[in-house]
Amino acid sequence: MAEVRPDEISAILKKQLSGFENEMDIYDVGTVLSVGDGIARVYGLSKVMASELVEFPNNVFGMVLNLDEDSVGCVLFGESTLVKEGDIVKRTKRVASMPVGEAMLGRVITPLGVAIDGKGDIEIEKYSPIERKALGVVQRQPVKEALQTGITAIDAMIPIGRGQRELIIGDRQTGKTAIAIDTIINQKYTHSVEAKNLDIKPVFCIYVAIGQKSSTVAQVVAKLQESGAMEYTTIIAATASDPAPLQFIAPYSGATLGEFFRDSGRHALVIYDDLSKQAAAYRELSLLLRRPPGREAYPGDVFYLHSRLLERASKLNDELGGGSLTALPIIETQQGDVSAYIPTNVISITDGQIYLLGNLFNAGIRPAIDVGISVSRVGGNAQIKAMRKVAGTLKLDLAQYRELESFAKFGSDLDKSTQNTLAKGARLVELLKQGQFAPSPIERQVVSIFLGTNGYLDTISVADVKRFEKEVLEYIEVKYNNIFETIKKEKQLSDGTITLIKKAAEEFLVVFKKNI
Amino acid sequence: MKDHKVSIRYASSFLDSVIENKNLDSASNDMELISNTLEGKNQLNLMLKSPVIKTQVKLSILTEIFKDKVSADSLKFLQFVLEKRREDLLSDISKKFLELKDDYLGIINIEITTAYEFTDEQQEQIRKKFESSLNKIIKLNYIVNKELIGGFIARAADTMYDASIKHQLETLRKRFLSGNVSLN
Repeated sequence: MAEVRPDEISAILKKQLSGFENEMDIYDVGTVLSVGDGIARVYGLSKVMASELVEFPNNVFGMVLNLDEDSVGCVLFGESTLVKEGDIVKRTKRVASMPVGEAMLGRVITPLGVAIDGKGDIEIEKYSPIERKALGVVQRQPVKEALQTGITAIDAMIPIGRGQRELIIGDRQTGKTAIAIDTIINQKYTHSVEAKNLDIKPVFCIYVAIGQKSSTVAQVVAKLQESGAMEYTTIIAATASDPAPLQFIAPYSGATLGEFFRDSGRHALVIYDDLSKQAAAYRELSLLLRRPPGREAYPGDVFYLHSRLLERASKLNDELGGGSLTALPIIETQQGDVSAYIPTNVISITDGQIYLLGNLFNAGIRPAIDVGISVSRVGGNAQIKAMRKVAGTLKLDLAQYRELESFAKFGSDLDKSTQNTLAKGARLVELLKQGQFAPSPIERQVVSIFLGTNGYLDTISVADVKRFEKEVLEYIEVKYNNIFETIKKEKQLSDGTITLIKKAAEEFLVVFKKNI
Repeated sequence: MKDHKVSIRYASSFLDSVIENKNLDSASNDMELISNTLEGKNQLNLMLKSPVIKTQVKLSILTEIFKDKVSADSLKFLQFVLEKRREDLLSDISKKFLELKDDYLGIINIEITTAYEFTDEQQEQIRKKFESSLNKIIKLNYIVNKELIGGFIARAADTMYDASIKHQLETLRKRFLSGNVSLN
């Protein structure tokens, strides 16, 4: 074994020390006046900037939020028990920022960019401020590429485009997070070689968990790892046990990381799960900082809190690389009340919402999307032509079904055409049911909706619809695989393809009925 | 927090009036005397802060103490503060007054913490250094703190000039820990 001689070590140390400048350090300081509940009031720091990072003793960092006449209000990112009255606070002269880079992919980090997954330190490429102003009008262009969620009901009727902000809203236990996770898993396809050949750019995902249980976050991580989705995903976790300031900045950290991908011409998807908890954390901070409470005790700038966050989602113009940042904020409602303060705010900020209903969920219609009031205001432009063609009639059929459904409950005699509409609607609803963690590729979605809207399911009982769909798609994959290939490549439904699908469906229908 | 603002208001208005009457020197001596008298938790302080004792009594006590020692203007100011029932802030007001006066005269207070007492020569050197770099009249206060090991820390208002061995060792420690030290 090679020996290390003591004089070698001392030579190295000496070399290091010679490079160490022993000049005077000049820094600005203040004194802690009071501390408690994660808030510190500091006297001094006369030149400090708003949202600057300040350093307390014992390696506790804080962020300046209030600049008052005679004191400065700071929120603490660490234990407030480590800070005492009279302690010296140092300025860092940089606004709160986090490290960004590719090294973050596959990791679980805190909102300040520190790894908490036990996989060691993250190599830091560069820092980016957590609060950044959103881009202006000139730097943007309309949303034009699709972001496939893999959920048929969404991709068909509430399409999401890259650069869009689509709200997922619903009560607890209605499958909000499930939709988000499915969307992340479905982006795996965009990282494949096949997608590259079809000119589909990869989407990098960021999942921001705000105020959730650590066990829930661990479950999400495990699920993403299992599906191989962690490679292109970063999880930013500010769990329920973290101090409110961390929960408050977590979504901004997510946006900063997303902007890193967007600004380098790539595509990113960021999920804020959920913003109601962030608003509650911000309310806590604001009240402790003695800002006046407003409606539901939220401070006056709670709208700006969310609007400046969601405004950062954007699609860049081609000169800037054409990158995009898609945002999927999640809001939890209480007993379906969308007219509460935070839900109305976020609904008005976003480009549409996916509304999830508890009773649909309990009736077994999952994903429990209420198609009637869920909308997407910009995503339609991003839908591929084939999907737009088949989904147009789907929406209409479902709308008619819902209208008649309430009549049918009276049990009155129904004429033939009404019965047909009802039967078709029931089958379409059945068709749109989808299991969790089972995203479906776009070409399959197109074919199954085509079959549903063109009456191929009408002769099958509702209970058999899902089985029929699965089997007919398998049949097509084996015998008419070029249908899928053409839809993928051409992105539209030519007459030739339609004829082929019809032929395949008729062939299979005969086989299927024999086996019943 | 509110008290702080009130003290500034009283102190600055008194400063303005003494500047106008051109008796800044005597007023500042008076304020220094008041501030020193009220320093710490002595009985006088407790008496002033007590809500039980009537303002009239407080006033007569204060007048008794200070009437031969301070100027007429300052005494009048004392009475005014008591009349407005701000006697509990008297100590704060006098301190703020001295701060504002220094500000007005362009004097800057620098607190120098050293590990060992400075020699006169060193004191003169450091005074000259600060005078030339800050371009203000310097008032130095010295504190000895063995924890610094060596060197000194100067604090002028919100700015620290840290040239202590303790801080340098701390910086060195951080550098070694952060792994930014290259071994070649």
